[in-house]
Amino acid sequence: MIARLKHAGGTGFACGVLMLLASTARAEESIQLIPGQFTLAGAAARQSLILESFSGPNAVGQITAGAAFTSSDPKIVKIEEGVAIPVANGKASLTAAAGDRTATAEVTVRDMDKPFPWSFRNHVESILSKSGCNSGACHGALAGKKGFKLSLGAFDPTADYFSITRQARARRVVLSDPGRSLVLTKPSGAVPHKGGLRFTVDSPEYQVMAAWIASGAPAPQESDPRLNRLEILPAASVLKTGALQQLIVRAYFTDGHAEDVTRWAKFTSSNESVAQVGGLGLAQVIGHGEAAIKAWYLGWNVMATVSVGYENPLPAAAFAGAERRNFIDELVLAKLQNLNLPPSGTATDAEFLRRAFIDTIGLLPTVAESRAFLADRSPQKRDQLVDDLLARPEFVDYWAYKWSDLLLVNSEKLRPAAMWSYYQWIRNNVAANTPWNELARNLVTVTGSTLQNGAANFFVLHQDPPELAETISVAFLGMSINCAKCHNHPLEKWTNDQYYGMANLFARVRSKEGPGDGNHVIYSVTAGEWVQPRTGKAQPPRPLDGAAAPFEDEADRRVRLADWLTSPENPYFSRAITNRVWANFFGVGLVESVDDLRLTNPPSNAALFDAAAQYLVDHRYDVKALMRAILLSATYARSSQPVGANSNDQRFYSRYYPRRMMAEVLLDALSQVSGSASSFGDYAPGTRAVQLPDVSVNSYFLKTFGRPLRNITCECERTAQPSMVQVLHISNGDTINQKLAAKGNRLEQMLAANTPHEKIIEEAYLAALSRFPSDTEKSKLLAALGETKDTDPRQLIEDLYWSILSSKEFLFNH
Amino acid sequence: MLSLTGRGQAHTCDGITRRDFLQVGTLGAIGLSLPDLLAAKAQGAVAKNHDERAVIMIFNLGAPSQLDTFDMKPDAPAEIRGPFKPIKTNAPGLEISEIFPMHAQHADKFSLVRSCYHTAAAVHDTGHQMMQTGRLFTGGINTPHAGSALAYLRGRRSDLPPSVILPEPMGPTGGNLPHGQDAGFLGKAYDPFALMADPSKPAFKVPDLLPPPEIGEVRLERRRKLRSIVDETVNHFAGSDNAKLLDSNFEAAFRMMTSPQARAAFDLSKEPTEVRERYGMNRFGQCCLLSRRLIEAGVRFVTVNTFLTVFNEITWDIHGSNPFTSIEGMRNIVAPMYDQAYSALLEDLSRRGMLDSTLVCNLAEFGRTPRVNPAGGRDHWPQCWTVYFAGGGVKGGRVVGMSDRIGGVPAERPVDPPEILATIYHSLGLDLETKLPGPQGRPFPLVDSGKHEIRELF
Repeated sequence: MIARLKHAGGTGFACGVLMLLASTARAEESIQLIPGQFTLAGAAARQSLILESFSGPNAVGQITAGAAFTSSDPKIVKIEEGVAIPVANGKASLTAAAGDRTATAEVTVRDMDKPFPWSFRNHVESILSKSGCNSGACHGALAGKKGFKLSLGAFDPTADYFSITRQARARRVVLSDPGRSLVLTKPSGAVPHKGGLRFTVDSPEYQVMAAWIASGAPAPQESDPRLNRLEILPAASVLKTGALQQLIVRAYFTDGHAEDVTRWAKFTSSNESVAQVGGLGLAQVIGHGEAAIKAWYLGWNVMATVSVGYENPLPAAAFAGAERRNFIDELVLAKLQNLNLPPSGTATDAEFLRRAFIDTIGLLPTVAESRAFLADRSPQKRDQLVDDLLARPEFVDYWAYKWSDLLLVNSEKLRPAAMWSYYQWIRNNVAANTPWNELARNLVTVTGSTLQNGAANFFVLHQDPPELAETISVAFLGMSINCAKCHNHPLEKWTNDQYYGMANLFARVRSKEGPGDGNHVIYSVTAGEWVQPRTGKAQPPRPLDGAAAPFEDEADRRVRLADWLTSPENPYFSRAITNRVWANFFGVGLVESVDDLRLTNPPSNAALFDAAAQYLVDHRYDVKALMRAILLSATYARSSQPVGANSNDQRFYSRYYPRRMMAEVLLDALSQVSGSASSFGDYAPGTRAVQLPDVSVNSYFLKTFGRPLRNITCECERTAQPSMVQVLHISNGDTINQKLAAKGNRLEQMLAANTPHEKIIEEAYLAALSRFPSDTEKSKLLAALGETKDTDPRQLIEDLYWSILSSKEFLFNH
Repeated sequence: MLSLTGRGQAHTCDGITRRDFLQVGTLGAIGLSLPDLLAAKAQGAVAKNHDERAVIMIFNLGAPSQLDTFDMKPDAPAEIRGPFKPIKTNAPGLEISEIFPMHAQHADKFSLVRSCYHTAAAVHDTGHQMMQTGRLFTGGINTPHAGSALAYLRGRRSDLPPSVILPEPMGPTGGNLPHGQDAGFLGKAYDPFALMADPSKPAFKVPDLLPPPEIGEVRLERRRKLRSIVDETVNHFAGSDNAKLLDSNFEAAFRMMTSPQARAAFDLSKEPTEVRERYGMNRFGQCCLLSRRLIEAGVRFVTVNTFLTVFNEITWDIHGSNPFTSIEGMRNIVAPMYDQAYSALLEDLSRRGMLDSTLVCNLAEFGRTPRVNPAGGRDHWPQCWTVYFAGGGVKGGRVVGMSDRIGGVPAERPVDPPEILATIYHSLGLDLETKLPGPQGRPFPLVDSGKHEIRELF
């Protein structure tokens, strides 16, 4: 039923994909008329209709050929070219027929006896938006164009009304003769227009604008109905390549009426290699995977998901037999089944061991650890390994490093004592496994000395209220609100007012110098506002869509922010950290990139994202609990070996995605395998790269392999892609070569003990790859080592190690 | 045999997928080899025009002020025209800012486009994308840098990579967006080679180009052999583009490090001291000199980033407030080294007879606000700015387009980023209708349809 689809049209995170996943059984075929029930309010109201095939709850394709629409009472509502047009007040049903199947929709017509109120706020502004008039390229530019300025994306109707009706000596609208209005003659090409032809005289755009002018060009009123919900239909569809699907966008207003605004909505596709969409909402399927079609209307966004399964449906048995250890597996497999993507088999013990070590503690298992694990016959050994890893001290090193990336521990910007205090604060929280909501609250509301309470350094790194608002949003909500600094966010619901409401939460934070180098004292005062430039006034302090505090409230506003931020009802907070943790273990975030959470950038598996975030909330933001659920899942234990079509899968977790180790972990692994530690300036010998508090240590290796600079909170600062520069460094650089030639390293010890080549190979494989070499590998390598007789035995073994340390199997976590 | 369908002219119906292209990339080790190229030519798959042409793209990260450099408005009020005066050049009627006296000696070789504009957000990163790829990144599609498109279409012509970035790719400029300095949807195999070193440093060498002395040819060969044994037994990586890329990177790297010609190209010590000093003993100057050497040795496209970020160095990003410099600061800090290096490059290319075959284009992500701000600087302004071109078939001494009286918007002949890219491709003799393999094998036009080169330049 259509009603079941409707929840996907809201602004929250709920998404129609949920239902797609639920439908694993053979679904019932039906056809439905969309929308299934609607009201036409007033003579100008219209509703376009589509006839859609359904399989269970999933829309599976639009029926165009042979579809016939009829009205039960053409005196109430008539149908022309698939559009319902009101005739007189009353009720009627519409029937659509295709072959021997029919579907109906119920229509109510009202307000035919009243004049249709053309609204500047809702009608004219949406036409100016759809026609591109108020885009950044045209009159929406900061400086306007040719003396005519509109607010970008119509976010300021009052200013736009003033520009249109009062400026340019009021020539833009001519009430006595609407056709002479510049807002009609320019875009329709009657007089020269730099922006070209935007609409023709016979277009609905022209007619609506003309009707609004003819009705006296009424101004936007406070009492105007406001948009309070946007809906897109069908919200979720499962289609095949080449399919065409018309989408319908309906706007619901505060006065209870709804309109078909498909023509005025702006459409874009999140993944144009899967589906493209035209200006009138016709989507065309190009390739396999998933795309979200976004419709924008009057500052609101709504998404429709288009899923395109790979060809050759797999038997249900391919999924039924797959192991399910927790909710992650259930939801991943449901998605894979939907897309006809087969899951890969289970990783070997050696693969699992190495992977779990790297992802959880940023280290390789030692030779002894690998031997012990591989020899262990216990069926619980993987679960035991997970618990052991989560409890190890190296866990603290690795995750303190990760969160120091996030919170920008940086001695270029902080004095050494302050930097250490900040780092130690993070480290202590990781060691104590502080719940993430508590950590965030402590950071956001911090007061006191930067040397005593390291979190206070956050307010040294970021001092200007807009920057604080932006950084908190990226770090803890995983989203950028920067766009809203100048205008309403085009891809999110955030407005310019909300941005400055958020910024104003930090207007009363102060800092003064304390005793000692790098000591600042952060405190909060009881007065002071941050002014919004557009209005020249401060916005009431308000965390984005949270409740505003009165200006005169003297309580620290950051407490209000922390309450809102960490509330279980805040969908962004739990999702942001869930996505960061998830991406650490799977290489690919449920939302990509990990700090780009927004309504218009949907997750690859919405049900899974919901469930994983809820899991974290249910476990009181215990990040380790989430890690444990991930590590124990069959999904995490999947082989990286592709099967069938899943070699194309980069987002749905049908297999483990091999990826290069991150720079710091790779360097530590090289040290560990060679038995030759790296040296980092003044740090104690034996310090590992992930134990460094910040990124100031000069290291060509780390820079080349993508260590971030920690200048801005953005996952984009780090890169894991191989490059020729990295390869040159592996081949000729001083990192691997020096470690292999170092005195007293693992190679030297083996040679000193007169270890036979066979054992040397075995040990090297265990150290670097956490597995035994196969017989073939052993014999081939032995043969190759034996070829050059009169060579230095040390050089021979160095070359063996080099060949392993430069191999994909070593460089990649797989 | 490599399949070359899909290169050069459009083949929209051959069902080539991105995966096929990646395989070509793996086999071909980042671009085609010379024999491949000849074979491709024989098949008519590569346009014959101007295969000898190369490009040096000088990207003025930070974005110079049009009003204080190449589009002076001496008659405008003081708060518009800024502190500098125009000077005459050796091209009749063409005047530029007094802060570029050495440019003025070579104006007969370059031509200005004073009406460049873009319409995206006024953050550095968007302009970087558009000016180097011709498009703003949307819908999850990252379009390739011009050098990568060229590398894909024409391959390498020496042991050096076809496209090189000096001294390294752009770092953060505030927008947190990609900068368009890689191969985008073409795949990392067509990424430019990034030098990652400062050639003005006394001990400059390409990092890790040569093996350490104790690793001679015998060991090098043995390492390669052992590595192939270790690598061949594992096939876990069939689904990983990055793993394939690692393989092709190994091949390309091996080729470069074993080629005396390639190694010599990077050796700036082979240049006489007076030549090095003529360019200026600073990072940008030596990068310009190195770009000439690389083009001589067979690189097709060199991108020189004048600066690497707007945060940790003084650049064209003259907001006036800390940490940025002001208009006055630009005169003292940025302009002299830029003026010196660019004029040296033109002089050098022209003396060596390379200018006709080498397009030098000086681009930026946007211009700056016509009105001087209270801090004595100017802010971001994508509505209008100046870029310029020399060589590669471009006639010098011309001015294309015109801004309004305050340098705020194009008054005549507006030029957008796709036209800049079309101009580069045109100089290279590429057919603008050529299709690249887009995501999922969808043909993707080199430039948006209907976009042409700036014909007035040629």
